[in-house]
Parts: sequence; structure tokens; C-alpha cells
Amino acid sequence: MNSISQDFAPPFKLIAPYFILGGIFYILSSFFVFSFEVSELSFLNPSIISFVHLFLLGFIMMTIFGAMAQLVPVVLEVGHFGVELFYAIWPLLLIGTLLMVFGFVYSADLLPYGGVVVLISMMIFVMEIFMTIFKVKKLNLVMSSVLISNTFLFFGIIVGLLMALTYAGTIDLNIHELLRAHVYLVIGGYISITIMGLSIVLVPMFTLAHSFSMRPLEISITLMSVGVSLVVLSSVFSVEVLAYLGYLLSIISMCFYFYIIYIIYKTRPRKENDVYAISLMISYSSLISALLLGIAYFVTAKEEMLLASAWIMFFGFFGFLITGHIYKIIPFLVWFERFSPLVGKEKVPMLADMVPYKSSQAQMIFSAVGVLLVTLAILFRSDVLIDAGASFLVVGAFAFFRSMLFMINFK
Amino acid sequence: MALYTKEELFLAISTVIDPEVGFNLVEMGLIYDAECDDEGNVKVTMTLSTKACPLHQMIVQWVKEAVEKMADIKEVEVEVVWEPVWNISMADDNVKKALGA
Repeated sequence: MNSISQDFAPPFKLIAPYFILGGIFYILSSFFVFSFEVSELSFLNPSIISFVHLFLLGFIMMTIFGAMAQLVPVVLEVGHFGVELFYAIWPLLLIGTLLMVFGFVYSADLLPYGGVVVLISMMIFVMEIFMTIFKVKKLNLVMSSVLISNTFLFFGIIVGLLMALTYAGTIDLNIHELLRAHVYLVIGGYISITIMGLSIVLVPMFTLAHSFSMRPLEISITLMSVGVSLVVLSSVFSVEVLAYLGYLLSIISMCFYFYIIYIIYKTRPRKENDVYAISLMISYSSLISALLLGIAYFVTAKEEMLLASAWIMFFGFFGFLITGHIYKIIPFLVWFERFSPLVGKEKVPMLADMVPYKSSQAQMIFSAVGVLLVTLAILFRSDVLIDAGASFLVVGAFAFFRSMLFMINFK
Repeated sequence: MALYTKEELFLAISTVIDPEVGFNLVEMGLIYDAECDDEGNVKVTMTLSTKACPLHQMIVQWVKEAVEKMADIKEVEVEVVWEPVWNISMADDNVKKALGA
């Protein structure tokens, strides 16, 4: 048993901080929603920018980075270049995120420091991934998606740093143009393409789906890559029409992505609706809702449509996709470390036994209701609904954290 | 004459359970073939439900260990193949029924 390589499952102590911190940031982000005032909701409101960084850096990126420590060897079929580097990434990301979150609300002077620390953290991550990819002899579509997404992340964080320096007054650049490039590089280029690539490995793995065409994914990744590039070019050369073309391609790209997920869902042999399956259903329903709201924004030009679309994309699509996968990833890592050496010697639990039923169900229900209420609050400009939604989100986030601790401490 | 029949080898391997789905590898249809010569050298041909299975190495090891527990076994070779590609039709009816396939 000792001869088995650990390449495909790094030690849990390396990954655990990412998930625990991600869970804490999920709770903090939920509390933050209480501070929203509908009359002040805007993409350039420092409080909203602070919230977006708390959620995206603290929860989404922290959790994705932790998950990538385990998933990259699975997807790339080679061991990490230097998995120990992940010990350095989370403390830097933690410090950088806190500096940026406080910087946007209390003191812009903190932003360059926060930006640089986040930049260092992400550069270590990106370089580690690139060096690991170089070990792969022939790239398939999913491997290419990892390469593409990390290239976008590389540029996204450089633009982010330029923004932080501009925000603090250190340099003088057009922050509105940079914002568009930064948002698209990180959210469209990195998060979306990473989700596309990884989910096409993970969702069929857990649902046992086979024999579906990868062509829609190929189209989806291509369209998103071109879309992101066009939006960045529109920022660099101030050509508005390129940005709109980029937005359009991104929406079409997500439609193709949804199509392949729908095909997998329809043809999956494993039909049980566990917390993973239902989380994904909520997640992809949120994606469709976000796309429809995005289209509605282009038709009506009402900012609340775009705000609601972004909200439901973040907390609904990204949020549930990540929490759903956590219910698969943590049990696997804990099981691998704690129970796999006992196989054949004594009775070991199944992975599904390690997921707490009540708290995971509570998380899904409370978080889903919270996301819906806040969406309605944004659309109908209601502060009461914001508070109601935040209350549900906070309970859901605590239930998620409790589930996570249960799985981590499972004996 | 072979030391063990294919059925006997399959029976030994059926003690290996996939912790994700909760069924043993034989009823999942993941074991394609198993043969043993008269000296106790065994070759198992199997697949996995996905190429990206993070338990790949471990499952192969479990299969090996399950066969090695049989008396007079000398050497066990486990070959993982990807053709034919596994699909749910290869699983036993009880698996299909439990999964809702």
C-alpha cells in the first residue's frame, strides 16, 4: 500500500486551509450583504467592489485554488511541478484579500499593498500550473482549457494591480477601461473557463455519463476566449463595439456550455438526487437566469438587470457549483488519507456516508432562498428583501461551514 | 490446468468496492477478464469508469491485493485498458436499478 503514489491526492493538511478559509469568507460575504442599500447599488460603489473581492478572492478563488491542488493532476494526468508551493499561496491570498477588502472601504492606501500580495500569490499559483502543464506531452481539450484560463488569470491580475495603483493615486490610468478588462479576464477568462474545463471532467465522473460529444465545449471555450480578448482590446483601444461583440460571444459561449451540461444531465446513468446533484441543478438554473437577466439588460438598459445578473451569477452559479463540488472533494480527500489504508482490513465508510444530510440540505435550501430574495431585492429595489435574503444566506453559509467541519473531522 | 478459474478470480476481486458509488468492481462491469496459469500467475484486465479517476492507482492496488490473498498465487499483473470504453450497460442489473439507469 505504501508504494502507491500520492501524486493524485496531495496531503489534506495542504488543502484544508483553502477550504476552511473559503468557508469563512463565504460566511463573511453573506454578512456583508446586510450592508447593501439598494439606492447605492452600483458597480463602482467601493462597498460593492469590496464585497466582490471578499466573495471572489476570499471564497471563489481560495476554494478553486485548493481544489486545483487536487484536481490538476487528475485532469492533466501528471503530478504537480511543486505541490509544496500551495503552502505559500493561501497565506498570501488571505493577507492580500483582507488588505483589498479593507482598502476599498476604509483606506485606498492599502490597495497597492493588497494588490501586490494578491499578485504574488496568484503568480505563484499560475507559474506552478504552467510548469505542471509543461510536463504534459499532448494537451487535450480540458488540459488546454487549464492553460487558457491561467493565461487569462495572469493578465487579469496584472490589470488588477494597475487598477489598485490607479485607485490609490500612484499612477494615472482610465480606471473604467481597466475595470472592464479586469472583470472579463478574471471572471470570463479564468473562473468561467476553469469551470467549463473542470466540470466536464467532474460532472460525468460523478454521474457516470459517457458518449457525449465534446464539440459544444470546444465551441464554448473558443467563443469565451475570443469574447474576453475582444473586451480587453476594447479597453486598450477604446473601441466600444468590440466590447459589445465580446459580451455577445460570452453569452453565446455560456449557452453552448449549458447545452453540453444539459446533454450530460439528460443521459446520466446515475440519477440519484443527492446534495451534489441538486446543488448543480440550482447552479445551472442560476446560470440560465443570469443569462436571461443579462439579455434583458441589453434590451432595457436598466442597471438593476445587470446587477441582478451579476449577483445571481456569483452567489447562484459560482456559489452552488463550488459548494456542490465541496461535498464531493472533501470526503474524497479525507477518505483517501484516513480510510484508504484500511481497505481490505476493516469496514470503511463510503464517500456518501461522510456528507451530513441535515446541514447540507439546510445549506442548499437557505442559500437558494437567500439568492432568490436578494435577486428580487435588486430588481424591485427593496431594502427589506435585502435583509431577508441576507438572513437566509448567513444561515446557509453557517450550515455549509458546519457540513465542511463534519466532513473534515469524520472518523 | 489453471490454478483458478475466471469465476473464482472474479469472486476474489468482487471484494473490492468503489467508495464513490458503493458497488464492487465486478458488478460495475469494470473487470473485463482474469486468467490464471497452472503456476499461479494471474493477469487481470480491467477498466475504470473514467480516465480521470483519482483512485486509479489505488483501485489497481486493491485488485492486486484481493487476488494475492488467494492461496498459491505467485504474481499478479493488472492491466488497465480503455477499449472498450466502459458504459453503464456493462454493469449488472442490480447496479443499473440502484442508480436509476
